[in-house]
Amino acid sequence: MAETTAAMFGGHKTNGLVLVVDDEPDVRKVVRMTLEKAGYDVIEAEDGEKAIQEVQKGENPLMLDVIISDIRMPKINGVEAINYFQQQYPRVPLIVLTGFPDMEMATGFLKKGIVDYLVKPVEKEKLIKSVATAMEKRDLNRL
Amino acid sequence: MTTDEPPITISILGAGQGGTAMLESFLNLPHIRLLGIADKNPHALGFRLARLHNIPTTSHPLKLIQEDTVNLIIDVTGDPTLPPFIAEHKHSSAEVLGGTAAKVLLELIQHQTFIQTQLFQSEKLASLGTFASGIAHDINNPLYIILAMAEEIREENHLERIREHATSIYEAAQRIQAISRNITDYVRTSSHQELESIDLHARLEEALSISRFATKFREITVQKDYQNGLAIQGKPEEILQVFINLITNAIHAMEEKGSLTISTSHSNGLVQIAISDTGSGISAQNLQKIFNPFFSTKPKGKGTGLGLYNVKTIVKKYQGEIQVESEEGKGTTFRLSFPSIPPISPLKEMVSSEQP
Ligand SMILES: Nc1ncnc2c1ncn2[C@@H]1O[C@H](COP(=O)(O)OP(=O)(O)OP(=O)(O)O)[C@@H](O)[C@H]1O
Ligand SMILES: [Mg+2]
Repeated sequence: MAETTAAMFGGHKTNGLVLVVDDEPDVRKVVRMTLEKAGYDVIEAEDGEKAIQEVQKGENPLMLDVIISDIRMPKINGVEAINYFQQQYPRVPLIVLTGFPDMEMATGFLKKGIVDYLVKPVEKEKLIKSVATAMEKRDLNRL
Repeated sequence: MTTDEPPITISILGAGQGGTAMLESFLNLPHIRLLGIADKNPHALGFRLARLHNIPTTSHPLKLIQEDTVNLIIDVTGDPTLPPFIAEHKHSSAEVLGGTAAKVLLELIQHQTFIQTQLFQSEKLASLGTFASGIAHDINNPLYIILAMAEEIREENHLERIREHATSIYEAAQRIQAISRNITDYVRTSSHQELESIDLHARLEEALSISRFATKFREITVQKDYQNGLAIQGKPEEILQVFINLITNAIHAMEEKGSLTISTSHSNGLVQIAISDTGSGISAQNLQKIFNPFFSTKPKGKGTGLGLYNVKTIVKKYQGEIQVESEEGKGTTFRLSFPSIPPISPLKEMVSSEQP
C-alpha cells in the first residue's frame, strides 16, 4: 500500500485511483492486477471500517476516483460501507463486486445509484469497462 | 402415545436382512419390548444393531423360544426345521408369526422404510435450497481467484510471480474442493446407512462447518462446552441434519452479531445437547408453531419451514426429546436429549462380539 501512496503523491499520471474493499487478500490482488494493467492506481482495504479509515486518510477522499466493494464482510459490512460512502462522498462512484448473485439486491443497489453490480468471477474486460464507466461518471460529478 | 397396557414382548429368530429390518422398525415403537434376537451365524447383520440397543443376541434360539414372558415369536429364518421345534418348546401363551405371515409383515416394513427414506430425501433437498445462495458466495470467490490468476499466468514471464499465482490457484481450488466434499456428504443418500454409534462432537463440528455456508459467520462467536466421550445411536446423516438445522436457524436469528453456544452433557442415561443463540428470540405465539411443517417467518424463497419439522421427526425416531426456551430480543435455546450409549471403539466391539 505504501507503494501506491507514493505513486499517488509522486505525481505520475494514471487513469485514476481505485479503492478495492474485500476481505480476501487474493481477491484484492486479482482486482489490483487487472486494474494496474489497465493503468489505474489501486489501494486496498479488507473491510468497511478499514475502507472508511483509508478514505479519510490524507487527501484520499479528494483523489479517490472509484470504490469497488464486496458486500459481505466482517465488521462493517459492504452494505453499510456503501451507504456511508454514498452519504460522505457522493461524488465517488461505487461498484459492487460480490460472489453473491442476488437480483433483488442488485436492483436495489442500482436504484440507489451505484454504477454496477458485478458478480464474481467477473471477466477482466467487464471489470475494466465498469471502472471506465465509473470514471466517466466521476468526471461528470466533478464538473 | 400412552396406554396403560403392558408392552408386547417379542423374540426375533433370524438376524439376516429380514430380522434386521424387523428389529429396526420395532426399536422405534414405544410399546414393543424386544427380548432378544437369535441367529445361527454369530456375525449376523442384525447383531450389531441389537447390541447397540442392549438387546440380547444369541446363536441358540432355544432360550428365546422357551422364555415364558414372550408374547410373540417371529420367525424369519426360513428354516423348515424351526417351526416344529418352536411348537414343541414354546410357552403355551406365546404366539408364533412365521412363514407367509412373517413375509407379509416384512414387506410392509420394507415398504414403509422406503417411503420414509424418500420423504426424508425430498425434505433434505428442500432445506438444501436455503444453503444455495451461501454456497454460491463461498464458491465464487475462489473461482474468481482461479480464473483471474490463471489468465494472468498466461501472460506472465516472471517465474517467481508465476509460482506465487500458482500457489493462490492451488489454495483457492482446495477451498472449492472442501465445499464440494461437504455438500456431497450432506446430500449423499442415506438409504443404505445403518444405525451406528455416533460420535456426537464430530457430527457437531461437521454441522458447524456446513452451516457456515448458509450464512457467513460474521461477528458470530462460537462457544463450545463439550463433555468428552458421548455417543448416541442413529444414522449419522440424520443426526447431522438435526444439528445443521438447529445451527443454521440460530445463525439466521442472529443476523450479524451474536454468540452461538453448543454444550453437551450426560446424566441419567441421557445425552443432552443444548444449542443457544443470542438472536431475535421467538414470540410466545410463534413458539407454538415452529415445529409445524412449512411454518416459517423467513422471506419467501429463504425458508422452507421444514427445518424444525425434520428435526422433530428425527429426534422422535431415536426416542429423543426436544425442548425450546426463548425470550424475544434475548435469544433461544434448543435442548435435545437422546438415550446414551457407550462410545464404541472398533477394538472393544470385536472383543465383546460373543454374548449369551
Ligand atoms: N434459533 C431461533 N431463533 C429464532 N427463531 C427461530 C429459531 N429457530 C427457529 N426459529 C423460528 O422458527 C421458524 C421455523 O424454523 P424452521 O427451521 O422450521 O424453518 P425455516 O428456518 O424458516 O426454514 P428452513 O429451515 O427451510 O431454512 C423460523 O422461520 C423462525 O421464525
Ligand atoms: Mg431452519
